[in-house]
Amino acid sequence: MTTRIPITILSGYLGAGKTTIINRLLSGDHGRRVAVLVNDFGAVNIDASLIETEDDNTISLTNGCVCCSIGDDLGAALDAQAARHIPPENILLEASGVAEPKRIATHVGFWPGFELDALIVAADAETVRNRANDKFVGQLVRSQIRHADIIALTKTDLVGPEAARGVKAWLRNQVPNARIFEAPNGTLPVALAFGADRASNALSGPVEPAPHSHLRTVMCVPGTGLSRAGLARAIEALPSSVHRVKGFFRDLETGRMTLLQCVGRRHEFLEAPTDTETVLVLIGVGSDTEMNGAMDLLTASDALEADPKSTFAARISD
Amino acid sequence: MSRITVYTARKVRTMNPSFPEAEAVAVRDGRIVEVGTLDSMKPWLGAHEHVIDDRFKDHVLMPGFIDPHIHPAVGGVLLPSYWITAMEWQLPDRISPAIKTHEGYLERLGEIERSMDDPDEVLLTWGFHKIWHGDVFREQLNEISQTRPVFVLQRSFHEAVTNDAGLDWLEAERSELERHHQIDLETGRFFETGLAVLFQSVNKITLNPERFARGLEMHKRMVHLGGHTTVGDMAYPMMNHDFEWEMLSERIDRDDVPFRMKIVPRGALRGDWNGSPTENLARVNEMETLGTHRLRFGNAVKLFADGGFNAELMQLLPPGYIDGHHGEWLVAPEYFRALAEQYWKDGKQIHVHCTGDMGLELALTVLEDLLAVQPRFNHRFTIEHCGVSTPEQAGRIRDLGAIVSAAVYYVHELGEAYWHHSIGYERAFQMSRMGTLERLGITTAFHSDFVVSPPQPLHTAWVAVNRFAESGAVLGERERTSLDFAMRAITIDAAYVLNMENEIGSIRAGKLADFTVLEADPWETPLEDLKDIPIWGTVFEGRPFPVEK
Repeated sequence: MTTRIPITILSGYLGAGKTTIINRLLSGDHGRRVAVLVNDFGAVNIDASLIETEDDNTISLTNGCVCCSIGDDLGAALDAQAARHIPPENILLEASGVAEPKRIATHVGFWPGFELDALIVAADAETVRNRANDKFVGQLVRSQIRHADIIALTKTDLVGPEAARGVKAWLRNQVPNARIFEAPNGTLPVALAFGADRASNALSGPVEPAPHSHLRTVMCVPGTGLSRAGLARAIEALPSSVHRVKGFFRDLETGRMTLLQCVGRRHEFLEAPTDTETVLVLIGVGSDTEMNGAMDLLTASDALEADPKSTFAARISD
Repeated sequence: MSRITVYTARKVRTMNPSFPEAEAVAVRDGRIVEVGTLDSMKPWLGAHEHVIDDRFKDHVLMPGFIDPHIHPAVGGVLLPSYWITAMEWQLPDRISPAIKTHEGYLERLGEIERSMDDPDEVLLTWGFHKIWHGDVFREQLNEISQTRPVFVLQRSFHEAVTNDAGLDWLEAERSELERHHQIDLETGRFFETGLAVLFQSVNKITLNPERFARGLEMHKRMVHLGGHTTVGDMAYPMMNHDFEWEMLSERIDRDDVPFRMKIVPRGALRGDWNGSPTENLARVNEMETLGTHRLRFGNAVKLFADGGFNAELMQLLPPGYIDGHHGEWLVAPEYFRALAEQYWKDGKQIHVHCTGDMGLELALTVLEDLLAVQPRFNHRFTIEHCGVSTPEQAGRIRDLGAIVSAAVYYVHELGEAYWHHSIGYERAFQMSRMGTLERLGITTAFHSDFVVSPPQPLHTAWVAVNRFAESGAVLGERERTSLDFAMRAITIDAAYVLNMENEIGSIRAGKLADFTVLEADPWETPLEDLKDIPIWGTVFEGRPFPVEK
């Protein structure tokens, strides 16, 4: 089992709403000990009553979160988090607006002691289409969207529902099967940002309630072992309203307990401790029918098949 | 008032077009009082106590050479390493000979290893390049040493290779190295983001203050060896202002140092991706108050557009790169624009790092908009590097009143490599289009961007007038410059780029008495031999500083 600290990258071009998302996440009463690493420390704006301590490049909050400036050495900023007395459960890393997402995903996802959890790209409903055609940054903006595990569509409240639908249709045209989450006021639920609670035993307890009506969490305890190949195929077929899958299952082929992690279109299988309890959790924005249908699809993978294959590694480096 | 010293010479090349040649130059208190012949300067000599110094009677005096774009901190980091290079480099304490074969590379590395006394010293070598040195892998480095960590750093930091002892020495756990997609333990290669994991440990050696100070000392001597009397630190600080300022003050701002440094601060610090332009302006303005006699600031800043030329991260207009990859922006174009606007309104001279034609397009578009919003005369908006550009953009540089500080060496080292592997013949043929700049009358300086190329202005001028590519073939004969243009680009026009042309860059009454003393006259030397003219040394503010033999 891994003890690496999972990192969620928040990418997106200048003005896409990353800072608003960060400010909301830092102030949220969500019970996670998150470290948020930012480029522009000056833009972080948090209610003073939530601040425990503050110095030149770190703000500690009463909810257990910290916000730190990355400075000019990303690796050193990560090392500093790992060296803390109690390291954070999750890291949210703000990528610079001009960062190529796959490069930064490789950089931090393989940094000693860390692993990539999710690559979330903020896209501004007002400007993303124009930006994607811009002479200077069009290629970069399209690349950011294409490499997102989850697209956080911001400022939908400013453009109205019809225009928001138009932008979503355009995004799906750019990226088939794109996982899109509307974050009108920069609200990014922690379950979406970091997945179901990381501690394995928490998965078998009550699942945290989704704070937003349109984000749903569905849990299921499969009665049998599952096949990796079958799961891999089921994941490919999941509706785009399912953003995350996490689960522990007994691998039909090896008989071992296995961890499945899936964010957007990317998944991986990892070895899990033998005493883990079987459970599958889905997080998404689909209707109940859609989410339950997706769960049925996954739990139907109960026949042994050949050629299990993980696409996780391939996706972040291709 | 002090006595006048008259330096007589075989010839004085003044670089003042109104008075191009002379035989003697009279100096007092570090400044030139008269240029001409012993005869013509009689009114001065008759009126004041003077001494004739004829030590340069067989030499040619030129204005002190100027390289407006170097990076002393990079020198501080790299010079204390062991160099094995494909091109010959003249280092202060040694020549790094041109080693162009795989066998030669490993042989030299073995020699270096055997020459090291301290068994615990880590062997860091810089300059490796696959084109010439082939594949150097872990197993071969194990043969160099089983016990000493050996790190081979590629010339433009594309990759690094190490041996088993090196893998053990790194802080990162073996399992963490193993899973990294850009680290290959079998070959011992670290590339792209994998390199950062290697530097996590290696930086603890390279940024050691004692070692850095030693590197800076070597850098000083290289600046002197090249015949410079003024250099520009074109993007200060590299990493850390407090550390670097202490080092520079201690090492450069001293009476025995034969050059001055114009420091151009970064308009935004590294890692600051969207900080407030007004706060950045305040930081730069505060920094400018630190200036000393040898460490000077001016009303200038450095901004960045697209990525590095050697790393093939310049932003290109269509058709882009042969392999379809894309360059990068070092800061978001909108942020670049916001910074440029802030500094423009404050009246600063703006230097912009532009390597590809799309980077240049951005800089010129922003400049055009700034001129529309707030017209300025004599703004000296400077295009730094100017690697790949179009002829039409050169016209626009002229039309907008911009100037250029060019990395001419690109065509020599990378012209053929980029023809075959990066951008194709036509654009490689025209990179560093100095001939166009000359035909359009655009004020142009040449720079080394040390350690991108050797800090030797005569070498840079040699590239510009000949355009010999690495193989020796001429690449882009229509982009060669005249000798006059090239010599201006390392003297008076380089002074103009640093906004110091009233003080340095030519030999005329009133200017600082900075001379580069040559053993031969560039105008009487075949162009293909220009780089080989020996340099006796320099005169800095009236004081002779021979180079140590």
